[in-house]
Amino acid sequence: MKRTPVIAALMATLVAAGGLTACSAPSGDGDAVTISIMETKQIGIDAVKKLIPGFEAEMKKQGKNIKVKLVGDVLTDPQFVTKITQQFIAGEAPDVIDLGDSMVPGFAGAGYLAPLDDYLDKWDGWDHYFPHIQKAMVRQDGKIYALVHDSGVQNFFYRKDILTQDGVDTEQPKTWDDMISRLEQVKAKNGDLPPIVIPAGTAWGGGSWGEGFQPILAGVDQNYYSLKTGKWDLKSPGWEKTFDLYSELTTKGLLPVQDLENPNPWEPTKYDKFPAGKLQVAAQGTWGWKFDWGPDGATPIDGLETKVDTWQYPAMEAGGKTYGWSGLGSSYGIPEKSDHKEEAMLLAQYLSSGKPLAQVLVASGAAPVRDDIADIKPFADEPKLVQAGKDLASSLYVPTGDGSEQIAQAVANATELILQGKADGKEAYDSFVKNATDLLGPTLVK
Amino acid sequence: MSSSVTPQAPGVARQFRHRPLTAVDVVQRFFAYTLLGLLVLFCLVPFAWVVFSAVDGNAGPTVQLPALSFENFIRFFTNAGTPMLLVNSLIIGVGGTALNLVLGIAGGYALARFEFKGRRAFMFSILLIRVIPAPATIVALYLIMVNLKLTNTLYGLILVEAVLQLPVTLWLLKGTISAVPIELEEAAWVDGNTRLQAIRRVVFPLVGPGLGAAAMLTFMGIWGDFLTPLVMLQSQELYPLSIGLFRAFSEHNHVDWGLLAASAVVYVVPPAVLYIFVRKHLLRSSLGGAVKG
Amino acid sequence: MTSITSAPARAATASQPSSPGRRGPKRTWPLVLLLLGPGAALIVLFIIVPAVYGLYLSFTNTQLTGFAARSPKWVGIDNYTYLLASQDFLNSLGQTGQFVLFSAIIGQTVLGMVAAILLSRPWVRGKGLFGAAVLMPMIVPEVVASLTWASVLSNNSAGTLNRLTGVFGADPTAWLQVVPMVSIIIVNVWRGVAFAMIMFQAALEDVPAELIEAARMDGARALQIFRHITLPLIRGPVFLYLLLTTISTVGVFGLVYFLTQGGPGGATRLAAIYIYERALQFAQIGIGSAASMILLAIVLVLGLVYVRLAKVEV
Repeated sequence: MKRTPVIAALMATLVAAGGLTACSAPSGDGDAVTISIMETKQIGIDAVKKLIPGFEAEMKKQGKNIKVKLVGDVLTDPQFVTKITQQFIAGEAPDVIDLGDSMVPGFAGAGYLAPLDDYLDKWDGWDHYFPHIQKAMVRQDGKIYALVHDSGVQNFFYRKDILTQDGVDTEQPKTWDDMISRLEQVKAKNGDLPPIVIPAGTAWGGGSWGEGFQPILAGVDQNYYSLKTGKWDLKSPGWEKTFDLYSELTTKGLLPVQDLENPNPWEPTKYDKFPAGKLQVAAQGTWGWKFDWGPDGATPIDGLETKVDTWQYPAMEAGGKTYGWSGLGSSYGIPEKSDHKEEAMLLAQYLSSGKPLAQVLVASGAAPVRDDIADIKPFADEPKLVQAGKDLASSLYVPTGDGSEQIAQAVANATELILQGKADGKEAYDSFVKNATDLLGPTLVK
Repeated sequence: MSSSVTPQAPGVARQFRHRPLTAVDVVQRFFAYTLLGLLVLFCLVPFAWVVFSAVDGNAGPTVQLPALSFENFIRFFTNAGTPMLLVNSLIIGVGGTALNLVLGIAGGYALARFEFKGRRAFMFSILLIRVIPAPATIVALYLIMVNLKLTNTLYGLILVEAVLQLPVTLWLLKGTISAVPIELEEAAWVDGNTRLQAIRRVVFPLVGPGLGAAAMLTFMGIWGDFLTPLVMLQSQELYPLSIGLFRAFSEHNHVDWGLLAASAVVYVVPPAVLYIFVRKHLLRSSLGGAVKG
Repeated sequence: MTSITSAPARAATASQPSSPGRRGPKRTWPLVLLLLGPGAALIVLFIIVPAVYGLYLSFTNTQLTGFAARSPKWVGIDNYTYLLASQDFLNSLGQTGQFVLFSAIIGQTVLGMVAAILLSRPWVRGKGLFGAAVLMPMIVPEVVASLTWASVLSNNSAGTLNRLTGVFGADPTAWLQVVPMVSIIIVNVWRGVAFAMIMFQAALEDVPAELIEAARMDGARALQIFRHITLPLIRGPVFLYLLLTTISTVGVFGLVYFLTQGGPGGATRLAAIYIYERALQFAQIGIGSAASMILLAIVLVLGLVYVRLAKVEV
């Protein structure tokens, strides 16, 4: 009987001691802070792995002892989102995460990411970012939640060699009517096969919106989403016009409908027919130079630089401007629940500046969002990427927020109807409005 | 109407073949073999793609005459980290199945032999809860695991996987054990065995079929699961093959079909091996005992 | 006709006044707790608690991502009323019903029964091989199964089915576009025949062969024997099988998703796919959970119906 109070006291002391040591561990041990960075694409993993020693050395010079652990996890985007969402909720996410731009609004909105404005204001690198990119990174509540480190410019890649051979004008098409007439010429000279691929339909998934529909929509109408109110304006005039365009392209037989209904529609189109010259124009981002058709890419094209060139998006109506669409490629985000935000930010900044950034950009075929990279090797040695960087300065971007997944689904469904010949532009638009309104719910629709 | 294990049934039938084969019989047999043949064809033809593409140096998404080569398998096994995926899957699969069977036999025995309040409700609820798809429950499950510090560990995953498959195992084993007459155990008690000894000596040998079926279903369930490991594990060294299979959908968005097919072949081997091992028990699984009419 | 060891056992019970464990709740509880306790506790922790949490979520408008995630609110039965009035959800329920009815209740059962009967004939050779072949579709993981059928149903001329129809001079058809529901039903039948066959083989074995022979010698045809003798005897296992396969077919996700992504135009958007889209793709976990609960309620009702029809004792 006498033992119990003694034991209780002993237990209490042990627990207290344990608690104290746990609390004091970081400062007692003094120096090494370990942060983790997560990459989900092999290219990113390889690139960052090479840069970590440089970062750690740089930090040592500044008297900081930071160790970096690379969490390399090759996953598809939906798998990654599922997984990281759970980790965010539980506070288990790595300290720096390389996120695709489409994921940022969702995570930022939910409060999983830490606002970076204070860090950015204190950083001299921030001043070098293109102003319109700085603005584009701001989310609905006026804060910035992720640091963009690269971007691609989306254009139309076309087979200059084949068009020249066919005697088709290769000057920049000014309007879509211009573009369509050129496409019809190419089609006639190439066995009447569809000449252009733009992501559309349900098989292409989110790309039908992100890489297909949205760039065209933004060219004619930039009011389809309001960052201030967080609502989508489904009655904005651009929607129907874009659906009409898709309808025209389909009825004129310019889109490869059968391929677009393939489970992996980019395979027969971008990775098979375009290199083979059987499809002559593709909506594509800058990474095509490296990722898709470069010497180390998925399906390399011999003599890429001479055979392929790019057109900007034509204007929808006469008198409009041609443009490139910049799809804010990837950003570094830091979880709100991270214990090492300071150190994480240092890593993100290191990877987004100077030579490290130049190396990452070349590896993934992206353009920088800063104005001070064009002269830094190895980026300076890539003329096409440098050009993309210049295009980026004058490209279009419309930031969006909550509900883009639902919009993407509705657009995919509506364009699918057009591809299957079940609806014309207006009918597809009506179906889209119904579908999107239902999926978004009343709070997100204007 | 009692139904029990009557292993002599096929033998009994054979004794009755007095009459010679009539024309009707021949037609019947021809019919039967044709039906079976069609069924087998139906079941096996889709696999043609996997088999051909695995040995095809130039594989595509459809069946084609292969440019015979083993490079896909070579690439699969030499790819950094791939053998580890296989090992992890085996550890998780075997570990999970073993734990599941242990819990299942114990629980199945209790459910079979003891009538307690709420037994019916328990049995039905654990089965019906499986209707709720995983996406709806994964959030809470992950939070629980985090709080128990079981995430990112193989043993944590083994525990979860074993439990996720437990409802079906409990049903199967309860049924199998119910089919073993209590009188056998009682006879053992008379002979001086304790309850547990009786279970070991009497029940165990007779639950072979049910055990085999449960092992098979559990292993297959764990082997194919990828949502749970995806969320529970963080280190790539711990990933099972079910997630690794998606690596063939590399980030280029350009699917390596040959690699995918080869991965699929490797992926199918362990369950197939288990099946061959368990076959004797499985096909005679006395599940009829699960239900007394 | 009971057990083989009936005589000595009966004698044993006669001499043993009370067999431990059969009656007497007081004495059995510790043992029950020991045997069933750990398993039950783990099931509660990993399966039931998340499900209950899901139930709670179904009454809220919780989102996993987006600004709405910061302030989840209790919305009572709003999610339920939304779902029950939503054409999309009702369609997916209907499609799931079709899917379960044709692939599981009819397809797998009939084919499984046929296979089981055929394989129970003593004169059939190569039973092991047949059994193994039929089992293959069941033991491959869902992803692999979907891939194999993607190659068969492929919409270009190299797809296996198109090659077959090409022999008869037909043009390649985009099967998954033209007859999506039929396609996935066939795929699911393919997948589940083995399970039915196994369950029915076991059940058929319990039908005394003498009864069948006696009836045959009385001149009964095979079909009559099946209807009047076999069927009533295996009623229990058949309904148990129907219950199990309904439950597992309702939950089919990967097999269909990897093939069709729920398309075209939502034609194959089964309930599990709808829930995946809502819960994980749109991060609308409140709605996803509510849909799961509705699904659960439907299956619960079905289960009760089965139990009633089979007069099953658990």
